[in-house]
Amino acid sequence: MAEVDFERRLERLFADAPELPDAAAFAGRVERRLNTGWTARRWLIGAAGVGGGIIGASQIVMSNLVQRVESAGDSAKVLSAGLTQITPRAEWLTSLYSGGAVVWIASALAIVAMGFALSRVIEEL
Amino acid sequence: MAGATQLRIASLHDVELCGLAATGERRAFGELVRRHGSAVRALLRRMGAQPSQADDVAQDAFITAFERITDFRGEGTFAGWVKRIAARLYLKRLQRERRLGELAAESAPADEGQVAADAEAAIDLDGALKALAPGERVCVTLCFGTGLSHAEAAEALNLPLGTVKSHVKRGLDKLRARLAPAGGASLEGRRGNG
Repeated sequence: MAEVDFERRLERLFADAPELPDAAAFAGRVERRLNTGWTARRWLIGAAGVGGGIIGASQIVMSNLVQRVESAGDSAKVLSAGLTQITPRAEWLTSLYSGGAVVWIASALAIVAMGFALSRVIEEL
Repeated sequence: MAGATQLRIASLHDVELCGLAATGERRAFGELVRRHGSAVRALLRRMGAQPSQADDVAQDAFITAFERITDFRGEGTFAGWVKRIAARLYLKRLQRERRLGELAAESAPADEGQVAADAEAAIDLDGALKALAPGERVCVTLCFGTGLSHAEAAEALNLPLGTVKSHVKRGLDKLRARLAPAGGASLEGRRGNG
């Protein structure tokens, strides 16, 4: 019984650690390290997002996507001309497919989405 | 506004702070460091670390705890959880410095005259621990300061279970002689669950 009492006393003594005089300074140092790590992480995520975006954009440019879409646009014009004959209300299709601007906007949105997704994935890791 | 937030954080329980920290709230974790930093540093000093080394390891332990905060399920206390992380990090450091092997060494028997003098002086735990051999000190602190079982301590120290048990027994004998009135039967560690 005395053994158990002593061991409990010892556990209490270990648990009752005195507050050290520089406790606040120590906590401040840990918080600074946490914040520094967080800032570095955000920079890394941002850099990875930009890198991913650049790679995505270069892939799009290198794959002659614009020419392909323009030829698809020509086909769409033919199609929309056919649709116009069916109904005059289909004119908006012609304006939608008339040019590469839509492609560039879609590409930009895709790059932003890719960068965002990549950032989220890295953040989760 | 920031002051109000800080006040709100200061009023939260450890488990609630851990929940906030798990969402990336670093101020909540800072409050946990303020509450338990001294206890973790004291534990490392009691294991035999020099103050500056204890502070370094304690910082690393809290950073590790923040990174793994989702592993903390609230089954034990947050302080106990961080203490175990800190103790293991300290042992890893000893291993890197090739000093872990020193802990296996058997200690010389205590000077009975000194034991009696210490008991009369009623010295505190920190003073009493200094009289223990390094291995005894680490084993007793692991088992009674962090709540590890003998088997867990043996695994953490990479020592045979029997060595840990004998270190704990001798350490307890010496501590009881220093912390309590002399006399009484030799202690057996009740943590022999390994």
